[in-house]
Amino acid sequence: MNVSREDARRSLDEAEAVAERTRKSIAASHTGGLLMMWGVICTAGYLGTYYFLEWVWHIWFMLSGAGCIVTFWVGWRQLRLANPIKVPAAERIGWRIFLFWLLLYVYMFIWLGIVKPRHGIQINAFMVTAIMFAYIVTGLWFKSHHMFWLGIIVTGITLTGFYLIPWNYYCFWMAAMVGGAFLITGLYIRLRWRWCDSAHHK
Amino acid sequence: MSSLAALDAGEQVDFVYLRKILNLTDGNLGAHLVKLEEADYVKIEKTFIARKPRTFINVTGRGRDAFNEHIATLKRIISDAEK
Repeated sequence: MNVSREDARRSLDEAEAVAERTRKSIAASHTGGLLMMWGVICTAGYLGTYYFLEWVWHIWFMLSGAGCIVTFWVGWRQLRLANPIKVPAAERIGWRIFLFWLLLYVYMFIWLGIVKPRHGIQINAFMVTAIMFAYIVTGLWFKSHHMFWLGIIVTGITLTGFYLIPWNYYCFWMAAMVGGAFLITGLYIRLRWRWCDSAHHK
Repeated sequence: MSSLAALDAGEQVDFVYLRKILNLTDGNLGAHLVKLEEADYVKIEKTFIARKPRTFINVTGRGRDAFNEHIATLKRIISDAEK
């Protein structure tokens, strides 16, 4: 069978376009929305911390508690019911990931009890970098570039805020930069998918 | 096959979702998949989730190899023609 260069090029382009559309469509799922939600939670939490410092534990407990419940519910739904992509291996290790995150929080409080940081900013920088460490590990585990790079970037932002930004501006820095990083990543995942979808239906 | 090969190893895709991505009809996609299953390029699993029937498809190792070979051949044709 003779295949011309043009036919081969057309077939290759079509194959690459379909493969890219599939990957982007999978990436869109609910990940973008969840990251945007955490972006809003971070921004609200840091601004709340700045303006209502005496309520700081209540604010973060309520905001992150609500965020965890929504994330867990969406994750469970995706894994069990609505997700168009089934990963039997991920279903098998799903509970281990859940346990890993649960243990991370337990250990964070153990370490905080041992180290006894003197300033709220130290506690915050410790917790954010520990959570971002879990993002990086989870990203490597599931080959998720978004989670991996978000973990690296937010760690960098936190360390910059901790070492270089005056302490009275720390909350504003974190509200804008950490909240912004989550929002932009979530938005990027969503918009990239929509752009791809509209190009496909033209 | 492009769509299935884009999945990571071990991932299975829902039939309805695949039909939507590829913009095909039920019958058209079903006919393609039957041929691919006969060649042992894909594996089809019918299951029930929340009491609803769902069909998941994944590419086999043989299918992935064949697809990669096909892509390599297309690239070779293009590069040979450019020489």
